[in-house]
Amino acid sequence: MLRTMAREFLAGECPKSRIRELEKDVKGYDPGTWKRMAELGWMGLLLPEGYEGSGADLMDLVVLMEEMGRNILPGPFFSTVALAALPIMDFGSKDQQARYLPRIASGETVWTLAINEDLSDSGFTKVRTSVRPADVAYMLNGKKTFVPYANVADYMLVLARMRNGRALEKGLTLFIVNMKQPGIETAVIPTITGETLCQVKFKNVMIGVDDVLGKAGAAENIVSQLLDKAALLKCAEASGACQAILEMTIAYAKERQQFGKPIGTFQVIQHRLVDMLMQVEGLQYLVYQAAWLMSAGADCATQIAMAKVKANRVYQCVALDGIKIHGAIGFSMDHDIGLYYRRVLASRFLPYDTGYYMEKVAEGIGVRAAGRVQRLPSSAN
Amino acid sequence: MHKGVTMEFGLGQREEALLKEVREFAGREIPDSCIVNFLDEESRDEDWAFSLSVSKKLAEKGWLVMSWPKRYGGRDASPLEQIVFAMESAYWGIPGLSMGVSGTGWVGPSLMLYGNEEQRQKYLPAIASGSPDGVWCTGYSEPNSGSDFASIRTKAVRQGDEYIVNGQKVWTSCAHRARWCWLAAKTNSNDGKPQDGISLLIVDMKSPGITIKPLLNYSGEHIFNEVFFDNVHVPAVDLVGEENRGWYQLMKSLAYERHSFGGQSYGLGKRILSSLIKYAGETKRNGRLMANDPIVRHTLADMAVELETLKMFIYEIAWKLGEGTVPVYEASRNKSFADHLLEQLALAGTEILGACCQAGQYSKQTRLKGLIQRQYLMSPGTAIAAGTDEIEKNIIGKFKLGLPRSY
Repeated sequence: MLRTMAREFLAGECPKSRIRELEKDVKGYDPGTWKRMAELGWMGLLLPEGYEGSGADLMDLVVLMEEMGRNILPGPFFSTVALAALPIMDFGSKDQQARYLPRIASGETVWTLAINEDLSDSGFTKVRTSVRPADVAYMLNGKKTFVPYANVADYMLVLARMRNGRALEKGLTLFIVNMKQPGIETAVIPTITGETLCQVKFKNVMIGVDDVLGKAGAAENIVSQLLDKAALLKCAEASGACQAILEMTIAYAKERQQFGKPIGTFQVIQHRLVDMLMQVEGLQYLVYQAAWLMSAGADCATQIAMAKVKANRVYQCVALDGIKIHGAIGFSMDHDIGLYYRRVLASRFLPYDTGYYMEKVAEGIGVRAAGRVQRLPSSAN
Repeated sequence: MHKGVTMEFGLGQREEALLKEVREFAGREIPDSCIVNFLDEESRDEDWAFSLSVSKKLAEKGWLVMSWPKRYGGRDASPLEQIVFAMESAYWGIPGLSMGVSGTGWVGPSLMLYGNEEQRQKYLPAIASGSPDGVWCTGYSEPNSGSDFASIRTKAVRQGDEYIVNGQKVWTSCAHRARWCWLAAKTNSNDGKPQDGISLLIVDMKSPGITIKPLLNYSGEHIFNEVFFDNVHVPAVDLVGEENRGWYQLMKSLAYERHSFGGQSYGLGKRILSSLIKYAGETKRNGRLMANDPIVRHTLADMAVELETLKMFIYEIAWKLGEGTVPVYEASRNKSFADHLLEQLALAGTEILGACCQAGQYSKQTRLKGLIQRQYLMSPGTAIAAGTDEIEKNIIGKFKLGLPRSY
């Protein structure tokens, strides 16, 4: 139901011609569409009913993300919902939830999350952006980069460290920052993907003492959990995109004639399509499994990392193979497949690169220095 | 169940209990040194004898033909129980799971599908009880008929209440151990369509006129045979189903040839991966533990992702069967995917073991009890048996993607 509704809505609201226009738009999204998405309850899908949400299951959001990936929906939905609303729901105080969540659900506010600084490291442990306690508040200084949709955000979660004199404390803290505060400078980073990324500078930005998300100095755990959920939702989006690419490529192979027959008659093409199918179905199930486990409250960090590795590989590979089967037309501005191919890069590095998740898988499956005696797992399952 | 996402991913108490039982059985009955790949147990006499002794115990547990109905010696196991059993038994290297595959794999199910009651009464109990009389081989492939099965030339000519069979079969696994042969032969060569003249016969391997010649594989193992039929008399009552309709009957039961839907491959793959992880955690190369080498770590992580994917594919089939849906392309997909993955695991294993991977199975230099060597040697064979990768992909292209026939 949700799937069908979402598919129809997105197809009507955001045809590929609109996506092409939005790639040149300063905002990078359509506020009208945004409003109608809010009316459908999408931003509040998982939020509690008390905060204007629908209290739906994570699986619902996975389905919705698949559809957004399938159609391509430029805009700050992922950054608002996955990177901010869900963390506030999961880790925020009652006051914060009451203050911020209803306005997210209603579509009134756009959010994002600022973590990255030095891109030479994967992960978030080397944060240097800092806050120092001021009279009745904190003062934020530093620079964040590759922040999605900061140019249109009303609020931002910012990962920073407390400064104690000259020294930076070890613990990390997440702050809720109102983008209207003086001292914030945002610049859009030109990308080839059609998705918006920004550089954000903070100079003596005042943050209220109530605007710490979770416990000060203890954000590491929060960030790793919120990034797990966000990675899963990113995978769902990639999975939807892959389904779309596969379908358009199969259709093309049936219709395009060469040597007097559809190119889909040739085994080279057939087998490549079958390889694509196996990748796409595999990704889909890894995503569903991880979501199912997370929904059930089970430990699923390794399954999410597996899904993310798979998503990065599959999206890349399916987009490439899809273009090859299309031939020259696939390389043209007029064809939709290029829209996906360029977005692969936006998807692959959000939150982090494939190698980062490979490491998580390796840890998760127990590739580590053994004690004296190590035993095989007690079951194949 | 969820409206957008239909599959469930967990195991129930029944399956968990079965897993425990299988583990205990393996711990009790299977020596630590035994890592048998299910295709090669028929080669050496002592392996075969041990395998059959285990088959008998498996039958007593109700596991040998667990998918069959109770009245034919099975236990009506659910698809999920079947795949869980296939995964776990392969992981622990339990031999004797299929007595040469044919009987448990497709002869039994085919007799239930289109055999008559006398045939079922005569042949099924021996298979279900794990008796040597329940060992079968299958006569499909011929020297000029591999993937193009409908072009077979072995002839069965009706004379009174007998068929007279002449011809040659090849790549016949287990013929040297089998009591019976499940034979495809031409009973009518006048028809235009090659598929239309094929029949299925049950042939007593003790019949006069049958000659079996070993066809050793490249490692010297005796798995395959050439089987020659020279005026072999087969009673007409041993025709299965309808005369000349064999090809169509076969298509129906072919799905059973991939009967574990990748469960065994998954279990074996998991065993290999787990063994390599353990090995990397215990073994140094170039002065550091291999578990700390990023290349090794990423290779193993890669394999784990693909193995998890295979598990999803297997669960999906079990789930669909449980819902009453007949899988069509899914079995082909799982075979193709699993075969490729096992090849990759074998090759990853050779990288991780290094030069030791070439040591013979029983030599001092062998690591992981020869697990990697065996997989390296067996992979190309399993990837061809019961449908080459190319044929499987043609099937998927046709039945799932709706592409035009390509050959």
